[in-house]
Amino acid sequence: MTDDNKGLEDNLVDDPERRDFLNTVTGVVAGAGVVAASWPFISSMNPSSDVLSKATSEASLVGINPGESKTVEWQGKPVFILRRTDDQIRNMSASPGGKDPQADADRVKKPDWLVVVGLCTHLGCVPSRSSDGWFCPCHGSKYDNSGRVLHGPAPSNLMLPPYEFVSENKIVIG
Amino acid sequence: MKNIISWIDRRFPLTSFVKNELTEYPTPRNLSFWWNFGSLAGVVLVIQIITGVFLAMHYKADASLAFDSVEHIMRDVNYGWLIRYMHSTGATAFFAVIFLHMARTLYYGSYRSPRELMWWTGQILLLLIMATAFMGYLLPWGQMSYWGAQVITSLFGAVPFLGDELVIWLRGDFTVGDATLTRFFALHYLVPFIIMAMIMVHLVALHSVKSSNPSGINLADKDNIPFHPYFTTKDLFGLCIFLVIYSYFVFFQPNMFIEAENYIPADPLQTPIHIVPEWYFLPFYAILRSIPDLLGGVIAMTISVLIFTLMPFLDRTKIPGGAVYRPFYRVLFYVFLINVLVLGYVGAKPPEGFLVILGQFSTALYFGLFAILPFLAKKEELWLRKKGLSPELEALIQSEEKHKAERLAAKRKAKGQQNEK
Amino acid sequence: MKNKKSLLLLLSVVLYSSQILASSSVSLLDGYEVSVEQESLKKGATIYYNLCRMCHSLKYIKYQHLLEIGFNEAEVNALRQEHLMNKAIVSTATPENAMKMFGMVPPDLSIMAKARKHGPEYIYSLMLSYVENSEGIYENKIFNGIKMPDVFSYSIAQGEQEKQKIQKDAADVASFLTWTSDPHASDRKTMGFYVIAYLLVLSGLMYLVMRRVWRRLD
Repeated sequence: MTDDNKGLEDNLVDDPERRDFLNTVTGVVAGAGVVAASWPFISSMNPSSDVLSKATSEASLVGINPGESKTVEWQGKPVFILRRTDDQIRNMSASPGGKDPQADADRVKKPDWLVVVGLCTHLGCVPSRSSDGWFCPCHGSKYDNSGRVLHGPAPSNLMLPPYEFVSENKIVIG
Repeated sequence: MKNIISWIDRRFPLTSFVKNELTEYPTPRNLSFWWNFGSLAGVVLVIQIITGVFLAMHYKADASLAFDSVEHIMRDVNYGWLIRYMHSTGATAFFAVIFLHMARTLYYGSYRSPRELMWWTGQILLLLIMATAFMGYLLPWGQMSYWGAQVITSLFGAVPFLGDELVIWLRGDFTVGDATLTRFFALHYLVPFIIMAMIMVHLVALHSVKSSNPSGINLADKDNIPFHPYFTTKDLFGLCIFLVIYSYFVFFQPNMFIEAENYIPADPLQTPIHIVPEWYFLPFYAILRSIPDLLGGVIAMTISVLIFTLMPFLDRTKIPGGAVYRPFYRVLFYVFLINVLVLGYVGAKPPEGFLVILGQFSTALYFGLFAILPFLAKKEELWLRKKGLSPELEALIQSEEKHKAERLAAKRKAKGQQNEK
Repeated sequence: MKNKKSLLLLLSVVLYSSQILASSSVSLLDGYEVSVEQESLKKGATIYYNLCRMCHSLKYIKYQHLLEIGFNEAEVNALRQEHLMNKAIVSTATPENAMKMFGMVPPDLSIMAKARKHGPEYIYSLMLSYVENSEGIYENKIFNGIKMPDVFSYSIAQGEQEKQKIQKDAADVASFLTWTSDPHASDRKTMGFYVIAYLLVLSGLMYLVMRRVWRRLD
C-alpha cells in the first residue's frame, strides 16, 4: 500500500503516535459526554419550577387595622405583616433597638408597615405576638415592634425579606 | 497509585480478579455483533436503575397523586421530561436487547451443554424483568396501567381452590387500588437489585464455561484472545451505536411506546375499548387469548414463557452448535421467529374474525415446534450423516464421545473405590 | 476508498439529521400543520381563554407558563385578575354546575393532544365536524352524541372565507393544545439533534479505536 492510497483512517490507525492521539481524543470526547449526561440528573434535584414560583408570594394588606398583624407564607416560612399605630411608630423610631442595634427607619419602607420573617433567629421557632412586640416561647427571646431582639438567646433581629409595594394594598415578597 | 494497588492486592484479590475475569479473560476471536447484546442488556439495566431512582425522588405512589406527580415530573422538574422518557424508552430497549440476546442463544445453540445453567439463569432473569416491567407499568396510574393490571391480576383467579383469595391477596384489595399501587412501587424498586444479583450468578456461570461462538463448535485455546482491549473496544462501539438508536426514540419518538389511553387518568368505572399490553408482552397475550378456557389460557401463557427452559433436553443431537451446521434446526428457528411476530400482531388487535383462527393456529404452531424438536433433531442427524459429515465435525463428535466415555469411566472407578471401602 | 466511505458517512448524517428536523411537523388536514410559533400559540391560547375556558380546565398549565408563549406580564395579569401567577388555569364552570348542564364534566384539555391517537389532528377535526341536522340542531360527524356545542359555529358558517377563518382558528387552538400537552417539545428536539450528532461523532471515533486495536491481530 503506497502512501497516497492511505486514507485518514489508515493513518490514524497504524501510526503509533497518532494512535495515542486517537485514544486520547476519544477518551476526552467520551468523558465530556459522561459529564454532560450527568448534568440533567444533578439539575433534576434542584427545586422544580413550581417550587421556585413560590419564591415570591403576594400579600394583600386589606383589612389590617393599625395595631393588627397578619401572617403570610413565603418560601415555606411565616412572614409577619404588622400595621403599626402612631404610638408604636414613635416609640420604635426613638429606640435604637436592643442586642442588635438598628434604626427603625432602616427596617421599613413605609413607617406604618413592618414586614419581617417570623422565625426566631435563635433556633427557628415562630414567636408569638405580644403587646409590645413578639415573644418566642421556646427559649424566651423578646422582640420589639420593629422586630429587633431585646433580650434572650437570639443573636440578631428578625430577618427582613425582600419586598415591594405593588399597590396601596398589596406587597410582593421575594 | 501502584503502591495503593499493591497494598490492596496483599489483602484482596483485586489485580488477579481484574486480570482473570476482565482484561485477560479468554474470549473466542470470531464473536460477531450478536455477542454484544449481553453487555448491552447490562447497560440498559443501569440506565433504568439510575433514571428510576431519580424519578422516584419526585414520584408519588398514591392513587390520588400518582398521575399528577408524573405530569409534575414532565413539566416542573428540571429535565424531568428527559428522565421520564429515558425510563419509558429504556423499558422497550431492555426487551429489544434481551430478545435479540435470546435469539442469538437459540440460533447458535449456546443453551446446550455445558451452558445449561447460563440458559436457566437467563430464564430466571427474563421472568424477573417481565415482573418488574409489569409492576412499573401500573405506576403512572393511567387507564391502560389500571386496566392492564386489573386483567393480569384477575388471571390468578384461574388457580383452582385458592384462586379468588390469591387475587385479593396480590392486590391488597378487591380490585386494583391504592394498596396495589404502593406495593407494586415497593417491589418495582426492589426487583432490579435482585436482577443485579442474578446477573452476577449468570456471569459466574459464563466464566466457568466461557462464551460460545458463531461457528457453534468449541474452539481451540489458541483461537481465544484477551477480552481487553479487543472486546472492551468492541462493546463500547456497540454501545455507541445502541445509544444513537435509543436517543432517536427518546428525543424524537418518545410517545411511540406510550399508549394514548395512558394519558387519561385511571377510571375504575370505565374500561378502555381495547386493552393492549406493551409490545413485549403481545405474543404471550395472544397465546392467553387463543384458549377459550380461562385456566387453559393461563396455563398456556405460563408454559409459553417457561418452555424455553426445556431446550437443552429437547435438543438431543450429536451435531454440535446451532443453526450453522444444522439445516433442519435453522428452518425451525426461522419458522418460530416468524410465528412469534405473527402472534405479536394478533395480540395487538382485538380478537375478532380471522384473527381468532390465526391466533389459535399460531399458538398450536408455537408449542408444536418445541414438540417436534426432539424428533427433528434425530432425523436431521441421520440425514446429515448420510450426506457425509465434514472431517472436522466428525473429529469433534468423536472427541466429545471420547470425553463423555472418559468422564463415565472416572465416575465408575470412583464409585468402585468407594464400594471397596 | 476510505475517504469515500467517510464522505458517505458524513452525507448520511447530514441527510438523517435534516430529515429528523423536517419530519417533526404534524399535519392537521386542510393543509394546516401544528405550529410551534409563538404567534400561533398565543392566538390559540386567547381563543381557548375566550371560547373554551367556560367549560374546559387546563389544570396542568399555570398562568406563569403563558409567559413562555409570547404573553407579557401585563397581558397575563389581565387574564388572571386576582388569581396568583402560579395558579393553574381552571374552567369558569365548576364541576357541579357542569354536571347539571351536561350530565358530565367536560374533560380537562391539558394533555388531550396526547390522550387521543393523532391527538392534534383529532382536536382540529372535532372542531370542524359539526353539521346542522334537519331539525336545526348541531351534530358532530366524528363524535356521535357529543354534548359540546358548536363553539366555532362552523355548521352555520357561510362562504369559503368564513370557513377558512374558522379553520385557521381551529389550527391555532390545536397548536396551543399540542403545546400544553408537551411544553418541552422544542427543547427536546433541539437537544436530541445535538445529542445524536455527538453520539455519531463518538461512534466514529470509537470505530477507529476498535479498528486500530483489532489490526494487531493480523
